Amino acid sequence: MAQQANHALPSGFQLEEYSIERQLSLGGFSIVYLAIDPAGTRVAIKEYLPNSLALRGEGEIKPCIPEEHQGAFLYGMKCFFEEGRALARLSHPNVIRVVNFFRANDTVYMVMEYERGRTLQEFIAKHPGTVSERFMRGVFARLLNGLREVHSHKLLHLDLKPSNIYLRQDNTPVLIDFGAARQTLSTDQPILKPMYTPGFASPEHYGSRKDLGPWSDIYSIGASMYACMAGAAPQAANERYEKDVLVPAMKRWEGKYSDRLLEIVDWCLNLNHYYRPQSVFALQKALVEAVEEPEQKSAGWLGRIVGKFAKAQ
Amino acid sequence: MKFTIYQDSRQGGRSNNEDRISYCYSRDALLMVVADGMGGHHYGEIASQIAVQTLADNFQRQARPSLSDPFHFLHEGMLNAHSAILDFALRHRLPDTPRTTCVACIVQDSIAYWAHAGDSRLYLLRDGKVLARTRDHSRIRILLDEGLISEAMAATHPDRNKIYSCLGSPNAPEIEFSRKTPLEQGDVVLLCTDGLWGEIPPDTLAQRLRDGNVLDGVPRLLGEAEATGGPQGDNLSVIAVCWEDSYGSPSDADGSVSTQTLEIGEIETHIEEFGRDGGPRKDLSEEEIEQAIAEIRSTIDKFNPRKPGQ
Repeated sequence: MAQQANHALPSGFQLEEYSIERQLSLGGFSIVYLAIDPAGTRVAIKEYLPNSLALRGEGEIKPCIPEEHQGAFLYGMKCFFEEGRALARLSHPNVIRVVNFFRANDTVYMVMEYERGRTLQEFIAKHPGTVSERFMRGVFARLLNGLREVHSHKLLHLDLKPSNIYLRQDNTPVLIDFGAARQTLSTDQPILKPMYTPGFASPEHYGSRKDLGPWSDIYSIGASMYACMAGAAPQAANERYEKDVLVPAMKRWEGKYSDRLLEIVDWCLNLNHYYRPQSVFALQKALVEAVEEPEQKSAGWLGRIVGKFAKAQ
Repeated sequence: MKFTIYQDSRQGGRSNNEDRISYCYSRDALLMVVADGMGGHHYGEIASQIAVQTLADNFQRQARPSLSDPFHFLHEGMLNAHSAILDFALRHRLPDTPRTTCVACIVQDSIAYWAHAGDSRLYLLRDGKVLARTRDHSRIRILLDEGLISEAMAATHPDRNKIYSCLGSPNAPEIEFSRKTPLEQGDVVLLCTDGLWGEIPPDTLAQRLRDGNVLDGVPRLLGEAEATGGPQGDNLSVIAVCWEDSYGSPSDADGSVSTQTLEIGEIETHIEEFGRDGGPRKDLSEEEIEQAIAEIRSTIDKFNPRKPGQ
C-alpha cells in the first residue's frame, strides 16, 4: 500500500508561542520544523505524526486519525514521550537539548535547540572520500562522549548514522533524532515497525532485537566511520549475513589512515556483537590509546630501582 | 543450587547513576556485586563499572563450576578492581582517581561468603530479622560503635557519607570479610547502596521481606525509598536473593533459578545496564498524556533550565 506523505504545517503558522518558519525534515514518524520562539531564537520543533497512522491533508491543521489506528497512535505517542523523557534528562554538549514539550492539534510537539550547521551526511557528500583522520578523530571522540552519556541513562540511540550526527559550525558534533531510542526494547508493534537504516543498523536490529545493546550503537558508529572513509554507507548487516562483501577498512584504506583507526572501524563492524567493543568506554579507550605514544614501560620501575641504587651509593 | 534473585538500580533524583550492580552464577556458585561510584570524585560511574566488571570477569574465569576458595576470590577480585581503577586514572592522566564502594557475596554449597569496602551494605535476613550485616567503613559508624553519638544523630550527621575505605583511592582499600555463613531455605541475602539503606531501616527490610518474596517485595521497597528520597534522592541499587536450597525438601517458587540445567562450564551473567520493561501497556488516557507532558516539562526545568533572557 502506497503511503501518502503528510502535509507540513504552513510557513508562518503560529504554534503556541512559536512561529513556524519552514519544514526541516520529514520522516516516517515525525516532521521537524524550524521555528522562532518569542525571544527571536531559532528552535527545531518535532511534531509527532506517524505517516501510517495519522494523515494531514493539504491546508489542514489537525491530522485525521482513523478510529482503528487510535490505539497504535497512542502507543506511538508513548514512544515519543519516552524520547522526550530521555532527552530531557540529558544535558550534554554533544546531545541535542530539549527545551519544551507541549500538546496541540491533537498531537504532541518537542522543542529542541537549533544551531546552524550541517549533518555529517552532508559533510561526507561534500567531501567524498577525502575526510581526514584528524577530522574523524575530532568528531567521533566528542560524539562518543555524548553517546556515553546516553548509554549511562540506560538508553540506546538505535538509529545512529551520519544524517543523525549534526555538526555545528565549529565541527563539534551533536547527536540528534532519538526517535528510535528505546529504553524498553520489548515488543514489535505490527504497525509501528522499529525503524533502522540499512548500512548503519547492526545485525541485532534485524530479527528479534533481544540482543540489542550498547554494542549495537557501536556497530552504527563503526558504520558511520566507514562511511566517512568510503563516502557511502557500508553493506547492510542483513546482507552481510547472506554474503559478506564488505571490504575491511584495514584492507581498503591501508596507508591512507592509521592502522589503529582502521582496526577500530573493523572492530566495531564485527557481525558478532560479542567481538565488538562492549561499551562506548572501551571504544573511547581504544581511540585515545591510539594517539598516545608507545610506552617505555620497563624503564619506569627498573629505572626507579636503578635510581635508588645510584642514590644509595 | 536454587534461588530467586532480583536486581535493580534506580537513578533517584540525581542527574546520573553511578551505582553498578551485577550477578553471575555457574552451576555451583553465585556471585553478587554492588558498587557505588563516589560522587565528588570524577568518573565515579567508571570506578563502579570497573569493580563490577572485574569481579564478574574473574568469576567467569574461575568458577568452573565452583570456586576453590571464595574468600580468596573476593580478596583478589576486589584488589584487581582497585588496581584497574588506578591504572585507568594513570592512563587518562586524571588529577584524582575515581573511587567506588564495593560489596560482593559468593554463595556456594549454600554457604555465603562476603566482603566489602565502604558503605554499601549486605544484610542477611532470616525469619523477619537481620541475622548478619556488614559494618560501614565510615567515620560515623565508628562514632556510633563507640557510643559517642546516637542513631538519630547519625542520620543527620554532616560526616555521614564520609568513608575511609573504598576501591580506587591512592591508599590500599581495607577489605573486610564475613565468616562462612551457612544459609537456610528462605534466607534473603540483600546487597544495597546507601540510597536504599539510608531511607529504609534494616529491621523494616527484614520484616517486609519476611516471606522471601524478593520479586515483589524488593521493587516495592525501592519505590518507597525512591519516593522518600525525593528529587534530591541518591541513586539506589539492590540485589536480593532468596535462597531456596534446603537440606530438606526443595520448594517451587515462581521465577526461581535452578542451576542444575547449566553445563559445568556455563555461566550466566546479568549486569544491570539497560533496563527492559514489559510490553506496551494499555492505551493512554487523557490524564496520562497530560501527566507525561507535565513530567517531561518538569524534567526539562530541572536538567535544562532555560537561561534567563532566552
